[in-house]
Amino acid sequence: RPTIDRELLESLPNLKVIGNSGVGVDHLDLKMISKFGVKVTNTPRAVADPTADIGMALMLASARRLVEGCQIAVSPETKHFAVDWLGVELTGATLGIIGMGSIGYKVARRATAFDMRILYHNRNRRRKEEEEAVGAHYCEKMEDLLQQSDFVMLVVNLTPETHKLIGKKELELMKPTATLINISRGAVIDQDALVEALQNKVIRAAALDVTYPEPLPRDHPLLKLNNIIITPHIGTATVQALHMMAEEAIANMLAVLNGQPIPSEV
Amino acid sequence: MWYHKPVINEELLQSLPNLKIVANSGVGIDHLDLKLLSSYGVKVSNTPFVVSTDTADLGMALMLASSRRLVEGYQMAVSPDTEYFPADWLGAEVSGATLGIVGMGNIGYKVAERAKAFEMKILYHNRNQRNKEEESSVGAIYCKKIDDLLRQSDFVLLSVNLTPQTCRLIGKRELELMKPTATLINISRGLVVDQDALVEALQNRVIKAAALDVTYPEPLPRDHPLLQLRNVVITPHIGSATKKTRRLMMENMTDSIEAGLAGLPVPNEVL
Repeated sequence: RPTIDRELLESLPNLKVIGNSGVGVDHLDLKMISKFGVKVTNTPRAVADPTADIGMALMLASARRLVEGCQIAVSPETKHFAVDWLGVELTGATLGIIGMGSIGYKVARRATAFDMRILYHNRNRRRKEEEEAVGAHYCEKMEDLLQQSDFVMLVVNLTPETHKLIGKKELELMKPTATLINISRGAVIDQDALVEALQNKVIRAAALDVTYPEPLPRDHPLLKLNNIIITPHIGTATVQALHMMAEEAIANMLAVLNGQPIPSEV
Repeated sequence: MWYHKPVINEELLQSLPNLKIVANSGVGIDHLDLKLLSSYGVKVSNTPFVVSTDTADLGMALMLASSRRLVEGYQMAVSPDTEYFPADWLGAEVSGATLGIVGMGNIGYKVAERAKAFEMKILYHNRNQRNKEEESSVGAIYCKKIDDLLRQSDFVLLSVNLTPQTCRLIGKRELELMKPTATLINISRGLVVDQDALVEALQNRVIKAAALDVTYPEPLPRDHPLLQLRNVVITPHIGSATKKTRRLMMENMTDSIEAGLAGLPVPNEVL
């Protein structure tokens, strides 16, 4: 907010720059804004750590059934803790990262410390040193990554190419024991296909920080499933990140207004 | 034995004169009277190493879930009353924060390995200092006095075993030494924390939050104050609760039992 449309831009003839907080700009009509001679900046540095952290938090919470566990721990009905109540291991499991930008790379760095095997798919392959630093193996074909991963994490930006990147076909390629984690944008997944896949146990579970729309309608089937964790788009919701995003956005905007090199122009 | 059952007492041991070995699941043996068992000539084994990574993973999961308010967030995401997601709803960052590990055994060390990847500053307190290579490998700084660790940490994680020395290790005094913005994470044993002092500290915001995989007893009575607090995450002692690890634990236990029955040296014997 506010929604940047033709009307708004026409009413602000002296507008020089739109400083977006966060890194995603899929909600902005970049062509139209450009026609008005207005620059757009984002805040890629501020978001990377907290978003990578939320990706790890979701993966861990889903694998170890943390939310369910909490519910059992506090439920008025609980009389004892069942011995055969189990989650799945992270150690030795394979994490497939789709989208190896700043955020994806930080996820890889964290996941490696959990002794996970790391595969990644990206438009471009990373340099050898970068791959080796986090033990990541490149999958030129996304299908290979989907077939081998125990956890698939989406860390791409939303573009026409990544819209509905994960649909019925991709979900069916995944292992039935696999978990899908989304910290990118809701529209990267074909949500209807995901509902079906979760209902029919085509995949084990999903953990989503993002959906389309946000929030989901209260009667949406995703809210009724018990093999899903949803968080309310909190990838950058930390006190520290808020400060850093504000600082980064201000630095960008001042650079534009002062005619200096712009740190993160889109 | 699983989950402290059956209770090993004089009566049970007298009724089982041929008992050679008690194989315990998990690493903690605080619920066993070792002297009593030894006096009956019964060996004891546990499963120390196989539980380490899962328990360390759960420690990280609790730290992240608490700090980022994951459970609250989930409740908001699915609540029938939610109309929009508020912009000013914030958690605190784990990356770059200071983690104080109390108890740097196998599990504590694995926590340090994981926390390092989040660029956390790592302090630790232990009976003995680890050697220099081990310390520098995870960037951990030794705090001879637990007070120093408590004062500086944003997250305090307990991974000691339960002994007479560690019972109520964290009480009113220790909680007051902690930062008011700090979170206490317990993956050791409920009794390491003075629970009443913890309730008070959480109610009065002496510390910010707690995340507990263990309590005393388990489960807590349903009217226990810890269950009503908003700044507490409790999980039902699931530190080793994964398919792979439980299988490995069983394999360990059967190996120990077979050796014990054959009169051979017992792997993972507790002495």
